Amino acid sequence: MGDFIIKNLTDTLGNFSAMVMEFLPRLLAMTIIIVVGGVVAWIVKAILRRILLFLRFNSLFESAGITQMMPKTALPSPSDLLARLVFWVVWVSFMLFGVSALGVLALQEEISRFFLLIPQIFVALVILFVGLLIANFAARATLLAAVNANSSSPRLLSGVVRFIIVILVVTMALERIGLGHGVVLVAFAIFFGALMLGLALAFGLGGRDVARRILEKRFAEDNKEEEDGMSHL
Amino acid sequence: MTNPQTDGDPLWYKDAVLYEVHVRAFFDSDDDGIGDFRGLAQKLDYLQDLGANTLWLLPFYPSPLKDDGYDISSYTDVHPSYGTLDDFKLFLDQAHRRGMRVLTELVVNHTSDQHPWFQEARRSQNNPRRDWYVWSSTQERYRQARIIFTDTELSNWAWDPISKSYYWHRFFSHQPDLNYDNPAVLEEVWNIMKFWLDIGVDAFRLDAVPYLVERENTSCENLPETHAVLKHLRRRMDENYPGRFLLAEANQWPEDAVAYFGSGDECQMAFHFPLMPRMFMAVKLEDRKPIMDILQRTPALPENCQWGMFLRNHDELTLEMVTDEERDYLYDEYAKDKLTRLNLGIRRRLAPLLENDRRRVELMNGILMSLPGSPIIYYGDEIGMGDNVYVGDRNGVRTPMQWCGGWNAGFSNADPEQLYLPLISNPVYGYQTVNVESQRRFPHSILSWMKRLIVLRRSSRVFGRGTLEFLTPPNHRVLAYVRELGNERVLVVNNLSSSAQAVELDLRRFKGTIPIEMFGGNPFPRVMDRPYLLTLGPYQFYWFRLRRI
Amino acid sequence: MSEDTFLSDEFLQQITAAGEADILAGVPTLNNARTIERTVRAIQVGLVKYFPRQRAAIVISDGGSRDGTLNLVKSIAPPDFRTMLAAPPLRTMHTLATPHRAIWGRGGAFRTIFAAADLLRVKACTVISPDLESMTPEWIEGLIRPIYRENVDFVAPIYLRHKFDGLLLKQILSPLIAAAYGYEIQEPYGGELAFSGRLAAQYMNEDVFSKEFMRQGAEVWMTTTAMAGGFRLGQSFLGPKIHAPKSGGLDLAGTIQQVVGALFNCLETHQQFWMSRNQVEAVPVFGFENDMELPAVRVDRKRMFQMFQTGVQELASVHDLILSPDTLQRIREIAKLSDREFCLPDDLWVKTVYEFAASFHHSVINRDHILQALTPLYRGRISSFLHENHEAGITDLGEKLKALRLQYQQSKSYLIERWSASA
Repeated sequence: MGDFIIKNLTDTLGNFSAMVMEFLPRLLAMTIIIVVGGVVAWIVKAILRRILLFLRFNSLFESAGITQMMPKTALPSPSDLLARLVFWVVWVSFMLFGVSALGVLALQEEISRFFLLIPQIFVALVILFVGLLIANFAARATLLAAVNANSSSPRLLSGVVRFIIVILVVTMALERIGLGHGVVLVAFAIFFGALMLGLALAFGLGGRDVARRILEKRFAEDNKEEEDGMSHL
Repeated sequence: MTNPQTDGDPLWYKDAVLYEVHVRAFFDSDDDGIGDFRGLAQKLDYLQDLGANTLWLLPFYPSPLKDDGYDISSYTDVHPSYGTLDDFKLFLDQAHRRGMRVLTELVVNHTSDQHPWFQEARRSQNNPRRDWYVWSSTQERYRQARIIFTDTELSNWAWDPISKSYYWHRFFSHQPDLNYDNPAVLEEVWNIMKFWLDIGVDAFRLDAVPYLVERENTSCENLPETHAVLKHLRRRMDENYPGRFLLAEANQWPEDAVAYFGSGDECQMAFHFPLMPRMFMAVKLEDRKPIMDILQRTPALPENCQWGMFLRNHDELTLEMVTDEERDYLYDEYAKDKLTRLNLGIRRRLAPLLENDRRRVELMNGILMSLPGSPIIYYGDEIGMGDNVYVGDRNGVRTPMQWCGGWNAGFSNADPEQLYLPLISNPVYGYQTVNVESQRRFPHSILSWMKRLIVLRRSSRVFGRGTLEFLTPPNHRVLAYVRELGNERVLVVNNLSSSAQAVELDLRRFKGTIPIEMFGGNPFPRVMDRPYLLTLGPYQFYWFRLRRI
Repeated sequence: MSEDTFLSDEFLQQITAAGEADILAGVPTLNNARTIERTVRAIQVGLVKYFPRQRAAIVISDGGSRDGTLNLVKSIAPPDFRTMLAAPPLRTMHTLATPHRAIWGRGGAFRTIFAAADLLRVKACTVISPDLESMTPEWIEGLIRPIYRENVDFVAPIYLRHKFDGLLLKQILSPLIAAAYGYEIQEPYGGELAFSGRLAAQYMNEDVFSKEFMRQGAEVWMTTTAMAGGFRLGQSFLGPKIHAPKSGGLDLAGTIQQVVGALFNCLETHQQFWMSRNQVEAVPVFGFENDMELPAVRVDRKRMFQMFQTGVQELASVHDLILSPDTLQRIREIAKLSDREFCLPDDLWVKTVYEFAASFHHSVINRDHILQALTPLYRGRISSFLHENHEAGITDLGEKLKALRLQYQQSKSYLIERWSASA
C-alpha cells in the first residue's frame, strides 16, 4: 500500500516533474519569444518610423488635409501613430506565438481565430477613427457655414450631418468585423450613408469653399444685401 | 587743269567719304604758326592714304576772323595767312590729280560787318548798297524769329550808330544778313559761285541756308522764298557746270531739312543734324530706339540726293534738334562739366565725348559708315584727338593737327607760342601720345583701323546708295539693319551696350545666304528658317555681306 | 517645384531681350480683359513721365485668364505719348507677358514678378492691380520714387477712404501688425505696393509661394516680411481707390478666412521677430495727403448685430475650443444685450483677436474653422463700432482708432503669453 502510494506519488511527482520539465522550457521559450518579439517589434517600429520620416509621411497626410482635421494637441503625428500601432500588433502577435508555444490546444484555436481577425479589427478601427474625424469635421464645417450664412438652425443641420456619418461609419466598422450579417437595414444604411458620405466628403474636403458658397446660397437666399456694399479691405 | 568730275558719275557724291578740314589747322608750310594751302597740299597723300575722297574746306576767305572765317570780308580771295589764290589753285590741282574733290564754303546768308558792301550800306540811308542788307528803324520786325546764339546775342537786330537804324543778323551782331529780296544780291552771289567753279571747286556747302529770306509773322526759317533762291542758283550751276553739287547746312528736323532737296532741284546733299545726337544718346542709353525713331521719321529723298552724315564737326555738338528731355539727358551724360556746354550744344571732340573708349569710337564710326548717306570725318577724329575747352568758343575743337610727337607736333616749325592755338598737350590726348606718325606704325591703331573701315565702306556702293531696312530683334540693345542695292546685301549688327549680348535675328527673307563677315572675310553659318543667333561683345559690331553661294 | 523650371522658356527669352531694367511694374492678372489695357497704359505713361531716363519693364503675370487678357496685353501698342507728354520716351519700353503656374494662384504671380525683378536686376519694383478704375500715372511716381530716390525698401499705399471703409484693416490687420511687428502701416493689404530690388531678392528666397495663404494674402506676407527683415519702410499717398466691379468676389467670411489667415500665418513665420520686438515706430508718409468726403456706404447694422448674436449662440461649441473661458463669458454676456445697449469694447475685442491668433497657432481645431468662427464676432465688433461712431468726424475717429492701436500694443504680452503657452 505504502509502496503503491509511494510509487504513485513518485510517478505523479515524476510525471509532474516531467511535465514541469517539459513545460518549463516551453515557458522559457514563450518568455524568450515575447521578449524577442518586444525587441523585434521595437526595431520594426524604429525602422518604420525612419522610413515614414524619409517618405515624408506626415506631410503626405498634411497635404491630404487629414492632419488639419485632427486636433493637433490630442494626437501624436500620423507617422508616430502608425508606428505605435504596428509595434503593438507585432508584439501582441509574438505574445500569441509565445502562448501557442505553450502547446495548450484550446488556446491555440482561439489564437488562430484571433490572427484571422487581426486585419479585420485593424481595418475596422481605422474606419471608425477616420469616420469619426470626418463626422466631427463635417459637422463643424456645416455649423460654421450655416452660421456665417445666417441660416435658421445651424446646430440642427450640423447634428444631422454628424449623425448620418456616424451611423454609416459604425455600420461599416461592424460589417468589417463580421458582426452585422445580412441585415437589410445595414444594406440600406450603407447605401444611404454612402450617399451622404459622398456629400459630406465633397462638402468637407473636395471643395470647402464651393460647398460653403453653395450652402450659403441654399440657406440664405434673403441674404443678398447683407454687407450692404461695405468693403472691409 | 584736270577735273575728275567731268569724266565720272554725276552722282559721285553719293559714294563720297568726306574729310572736313580747316586749312589753318592742318599743316604750316611757311613757319608762321598758321596752316596754309601749300601745307595742306603737302598732306594730300596722307588724306588719300586715309581713304577720304572729298575734302571739305572751312572758310579760308579774307575775314576779321571773329567767327572763325564765317564772317567774310571778301568772297573772291584767300586770307593772306593761308596763302594766295595761286596757292589755292595749286592745292586744288594736286587734289584733283589724286582723284579727290574739293568742297568749299559759300557763306552768303551774311557778310562780315567789315565787308566793303556793308561799309557802303551803312554810310547813308540812300546809298545804292543800302538795300543789300536788311534794315529797320525798330526792333519789332520779325519778332517770331528765334535767337540762335543764345549765349551771346540778345536780339536779332543790332543798332548801327552810323546810319542810326537797326540791321538784321541771325548770328553774331558783326554778321549782318544779306537781303535776298534784292535781285542784285542774288546776282552777286551767283558771280561768286561762278568765280570758284571756274577755278575748279567741285561743291559748295551753303552755310546757314534756312535763314536767307525774312518774312513778317514767320520764324524766318525755311521760307518758300529761300527755296526759290536755292532753285535759282542750282539751275544756273547745273546749266554751266554739270557734276558739281550743293550741300545745305540746315539744322532742322528731317521733315524740314528734306525740303532743301526740293524735288531734286535744290541742294543735292544736306546734313542729317538730328541723327547725330541720337547716336550718342543710343550708345549711352544702350537702346536702339533713338536711332530707329529718327531714321524712321526721315522721309525718302529724291533719287539724286544724299544725306551728309557726321559724328562731330567744327561746331559744338548741336542739341537743337532734340526734345528738352533728350537735351537734358545728353547734357547730363556727355557734358557734366558745364564748361563744355555752349549755346545749345557740347563743344567736344569725338574721343573725349566717348571717354576715349576705343570700342565706342569704333562702334560710332561703324554705324556712321554703314548707315545711308555720305559720311564726314572731322579732321583729327581719325586719330582720336582731344580738345581744349579753355580756349573759348568752339576753338577747343580746332587745335592744330597732331602729326608727330616732335616740335609743335610736326604741325609747324614756328615757335610754339606763335601757333594760332596751343596744341593739345595733356598726357591722355596730347600730341606726344596721339599723333599720326605713331599710329601709322601700328596696324591696330585707331588710324589704321579707320583706314580699313573706309576701305570697306568704299568697297561697295551699297552703303552710299542702298536701301535701309531695320530688323527688330527683341533685344533692344542691338541695332541691326540690312542695306540692299541690286542683288548686293549687307547685314549690319551693332551692340550698343557695354555688356555682351545675344541676339536672334529674323533673316528668313535671306534664307539660304551665307553671311561673310566683311572685316575678316570669314563665312558664318548659313541663314536658315530659324532665328539667326549672334553673340556680340561689348560695343561690338559686325558687317556681313549676305551672299548666295 | 524646383526653381529652374518655374519660368517658361518664352518668358526667359523676353527677359533676355529686356536685359536689364531699373524699374519693374508687375501686374498679376486673372480675367481682366476689360481693364488691363487702361492699366498698362497708365503704367507706361507714369514710367515715361516720371522716370524718363530709367530703363523700365512691365511684367504681366497671368493666372490662366479665359477672357483673352494675355493676348490683349501682347497686342497693346505703346500709347501715343505725344498727346500725353511733352516728349516721346527716350528708351524702348518692354512689356513682358507670361502665364504663371496657375495652381499657385497669386503666389505664382508674385513669384514670377520677383523672379523677373531678380533677373532684370531692377532697383525698384511695383505691383499694380489690373482692375483699378481710379489708377493714374501719378501712382507710379508715388510708389516708386521713395524706393528709387529715398532709399526706402518697401512702400505701402495709403488710399483715400470713407471713414467706414476698410474696417477689417482698421480693426484687425493694421493695429495687430503695428502691435506685433512694431511698424504703423495703414494699408498692409494694399493691392498696389512697391519694393526694392534687394527686398525682391529676399522674397524670392522664401519658400512660401505654394502655400494656401499666398492666394489672397501675398500682400500681408510681403508687408510683414519687409518688417521682419529690418527693411526700410515707407507709405505713399495715392488717392481714392476704385476697383472695377467684379462678380465672384469673396464674401466676408471668405475674406476674413483668407486675409486674417494670412496674417496669422505670417505671425507664425515671423514669431522670433515679433515676440522680441517691443517698440512701435511710425512709418514715413510720402506724397500729398488730402481729405475729401467720399460717398457713404450703406450698412444694415442691426442685421450685423443679429448675426453676431446668432453666431455666439450657435457656435458655442466651437468658440469653447478657441477662446478662453473668461473672454467667452464676457462675449456671451454682451450678446444678451439689446441692440441699443450693445457694445463690444476695445479691450475685449483685442483679447478676442489675440486668442484667435493663438488658437490658430496651436491648431486647436482645423485652422479654416477657427477663422470662420471669427466672422460673427467681427460682425459684432463692426456693429458696435458703427453704432458708437455714427456721428463721429474724421478727427474723432482717428482718436478712436489710435486708442484701439494702443490697446493692441498694451495687450501684446497677452498675445505672447497665449501664443507661447504649450497646449
